[in-house]
Amino acid sequence: MQTVGRRLGVDDAVIPARAAPPATRLAWNRLDLLWVVVVAALLGAGMLKSQGAFSYRWDWSSVWPYFVKTDVLTGQWAPNLLLQGLMTTLRLALWGMLIATLVGLVMGWMRNHARLLLRMVASAYVMTVRNIPPVVFVFIFVYFISNQFMPFLALDQRVSALPVEVQLFLSFLFGPMELINNFFLGLVCLSVFSGAYVTEIVRAGSDSVPRGQTEAARSLGMTNLDIMIRVVWPQALRNVLPSLTGQFIQLIKDSSLVSLVSIQELSFMAQDVQVSTQRVFEVFVLTAVIYFCICFTLSQVFAYLERRHGRAY
Amino acid sequence: MNFNRRFFSLVLTFFCSFSLAPVVHAQQDNLIDTIKKRGKLQVGFASFVPWAMRDKQGNWVGFEIDVSNKVAQDLGVRLELIPTAWDAIIPSLIAGKFDVIIGGLTITPQRQEQVDFTTPYSTSGQGVAASKQLAANLKWPEGYNSPNVTFTCRRGVAGCKTVEEKWPKATLRQFDDDAIAFQEVINGNAHAVISSEPKPSFFVIRNSDKLFKPTNENIVNTFEGFGLRKGNTAGLAGFNEWINKNQAWLKQRHQYWFRTQDWAGLVPSI
Repeated sequence: MQTVGRRLGVDDAVIPARAAPPATRLAWNRLDLLWVVVVAALLGAGMLKSQGAFSYRWDWSSVWPYFVKTDVLTGQWAPNLLLQGLMTTLRLALWGMLIATLVGLVMGWMRNHARLLLRMVASAYVMTVRNIPPVVFVFIFVYFISNQFMPFLALDQRVSALPVEVQLFLSFLFGPMELINNFFLGLVCLSVFSGAYVTEIVRAGSDSVPRGQTEAARSLGMTNLDIMIRVVWPQALRNVLPSLTGQFIQLIKDSSLVSLVSIQELSFMAQDVQVSTQRVFEVFVLTAVIYFCICFTLSQVFAYLERRHGRAY
Repeated sequence: MNFNRRFFSLVLTFFCSFSLAPVVHAQQDNLIDTIKKRGKLQVGFASFVPWAMRDKQGNWVGFEIDVSNKVAQDLGVRLELIPTAWDAIIPSLIAGKFDVIIGGLTITPQRQEQVDFTTPYSTSGQGVAASKQLAANLKWPEGYNSPNVTFTCRRGVAGCKTVEEKWPKATLRQFDDDAIAFQEVINGNAHAVISSEPKPSFFVIRNSDKLFKPTNENIVNTFEGFGLRKGNTAGLAGFNEWINKNQAWLKQRHQYWFRTQDWAGLVPSI
């Protein structure tokens, strides 16, 4: 009893010691100005030099129609390949984050479970996925593992049997229904892959919550599930938000990997547009800008959440 | 990463043939019957000018698309086009992601170990575009057989093999994308690029200040066939029959896509 009490005391002192970040104020001095000038000069020199070595006629005009087209049939504006690919990437990212989080929560919970078998299953999953290069994982998953369940799911056939309204709703959530198999395969692959990393984050988060909290909750008669949901995870979430942000951003970028197995997201579409227009570098630059915008927006959202949750407890 | 992709697509192709044998075997009865029963022909291909490209509306156009459409039409089924990453095209076929590759797949002995080819439905030649800055004074073709000469090609295409055979001493650099292989030569980082015609000719026309054609003759003539999973004799016979019956039509479509530029308006900046 005494040990528990002592531990609680020490840990309690640690928890509230989260200081607000110091207020930043923009103030320029001469040294800063010098740095800006030096960096700008280097960039300028580099660009000038590359213009000689890199003879490429930039032509953006042929790329834009692949974003938005004027539909020949209706005469109205409609999304073209790049925008369609972007939508698929966004859908992959959102659903991927959700599923990876669920996988991570379950596996992270198993990873700390009292039962050896559960611990072993979870750690086997994490170790297998984490120690294989992503590209190899994608190939193995798609050609060996997915073939064991995708034909039996026969998603496209099931979907086409549904009423039209339901199909419309589903295509809002998951994209064009004729590509549902393709999308689902990419989604599962991405979620299983990212889930392993989220598992470790969940485990680290749970470990970061002092044992005294769990013990106190148990002494109040809470069930294991209650302890996780009401005591451990809310506190853990605050601790792991920064690493979770990083993992989610990584997930969005990893979604470009599934283009290797012909999942028709942004990178895959960009490749098609590159080949068809022969405007390789314009499409590269555009794709980079799009990914940057998505990831940057996400990191801003999480930064906001971090500030909020930093205050909440 | 490049190494990984190349290596693993090879290894996977190899393993797929074993581990997926039961899955694939179920579909091996008679490919044509399976397709008709399903009411849908699934064709795998990769984008490549002018075989298969996206027009300004985002629709697929090109020689392969014409061929696939006609095959589906003659079988009386719907066509499902399954665009596939070029590196993964043979593993995807073996894994059963589609029925047939109609994707400008050149018939080579190495590929014949992995897939069954139909009789050729198209013939094409490889062409070379060379850098004016680096290769203007090189004697064709023997001057190019030197370690100082760098060729580029798109990884996995038959042209890479041609360079190794014809100019064994030359340095060969392989790229994932044809356009980048050409860009290296335009930038003066490599002497020559090999690719299937008419692409080298198009690039020379568009970049006449940087590129020239050392020869106007095709370097090697290659033949393309439909690619099928191994061992489906009935399916093979069915497609062969179709090709033999449609020789005149195939020739006419080939003429249109490869010898004219009438379609140039469909795709920007070709």
